[in-house]
Amino acid sequence: MAFAPSDRPADPDGPDGLLAAFKIVVAGGFGAGKTTLVGAVSEVRPLRTEETLSSASIGLDDLAGVGDKKTTTVAMDFGRITLSNRLVLYLFGTPGQERFWFMWDELSYGALGAVVLADTRRLDDCFPSVDYFENCQLPFVVAINCFDDAPRYDPEDVRVALDLDVHIPVMLCDARDPGSVKQILITLVEYVLARRPAMEPEPAAAPLLQPSPMPPGRYDLPEPAVPREPGPAMSTGLRLMPYPTPEDGEIADPRPATTWGRPTSS
Amino acid sequence: MPQGDKWLDQNAGPVVRPYALTGGRTAPSAGEVLDLIAIVGATDLGEREFDAIDLSPEDRTILSLCRRPVTVTDVASGTELPLGVVRVLLADLIARGRIAVVPQLRTGEQPSTDLLKEVLHGLRAL
Repeated sequence: MAFAPSDRPADPDGPDGLLAAFKIVVAGGFGAGKTTLVGAVSEVRPLRTEETLSSASIGLDDLAGVGDKKTTTVAMDFGRITLSNRLVLYLFGTPGQERFWFMWDELSYGALGAVVLADTRRLDDCFPSVDYFENCQLPFVVAINCFDDAPRYDPEDVRVALDLDVHIPVMLCDARDPGSVKQILITLVEYVLARRPAMEPEPAAAPLLQPSPMPPGRYDLPEPAVPREPGPAMSTGLRLMPYPTPEDGEIADPRPATTWGRPTSS
Repeated sequence: MPQGDKWLDQNAGPVVRPYALTGGRTAPSAGEVLDLIAIVGATDLGEREFDAIDLSPEDRTILSLCRRPVTVTDVASGTELPLGVVRVLLADLIARGRIAVVPQLRTGEQPSTDLLKEVLHGLRAL
């Protein structure tokens, strides 16, 4: 067990030895059931952050009477699942409002993956989440929360509607049902694991922080098949003129002489 | 003002602005910003000198939460202080040797495959 010495004699195998914490981001539109999902498998606890008010919140956060207020409280929910005596999984629900999107970077950094919760009645609400996780290349699954009064759709139809890659898991779920939420999380971790073989094989017992060296030459750009030569003059008749340099003598102003805009001497 | 006390409940918001606890600092004076799921624990010094005079009530609350290794998120939630404030206070306690960051098995962004499989087994056993 590679355990760096610290001031505290932590016993990694004991009941108190916390060895690894993981986080999974739960995203989705407003009212898609994020908090319900987190609450189905864990105790939901509030996490307060105090964030600087951005210009995006102008007109949204009522600042009447608190003119010098520069920060606002963002309340987030999180859940904690103890998987074993050395593994803890955190579920973070993203703050729904657009002006809190900066929190997403913080939440997504180092995350295991993400769950995008979709509501078929407002499917476009989860476009931003899908875009975000695609951009930061965080593996995600799409879970369609089957509200009682919402029309049922085939997951493949939702995949097409959201323009998702074929490999991204799309599944139906009930965010209130612990078993259903558990299945989402299992699907996500399986998906993360399935993406593994595509990457470099993991060296056994190697230091985690040490990057594996890139094979030399593999990433070099190939030589162009046809050597690049200056092409012939374009057939359109246009010709590039060399830009006159001071050595060529006085540079004549090619524009027609005009007195427009200049002081006239009469 | 005894009559005014009833207005100062939790819904009214904090009486003192949160960053007053940190002397106005919104970022740690030294050291890196702790990750949400970084694990911290009280050092022997932190446990021994729990009643030291240089510790604020918030420091003591944090130290008591850190008697066993916990994540930064747990500390923030347990103290009901904003995350940014807790990060600054934790960094101060780390700088004073009262708290140490517990090294994790997963240090980079990519946890090992074995660890992921363990997560999967844990989830299936829920």
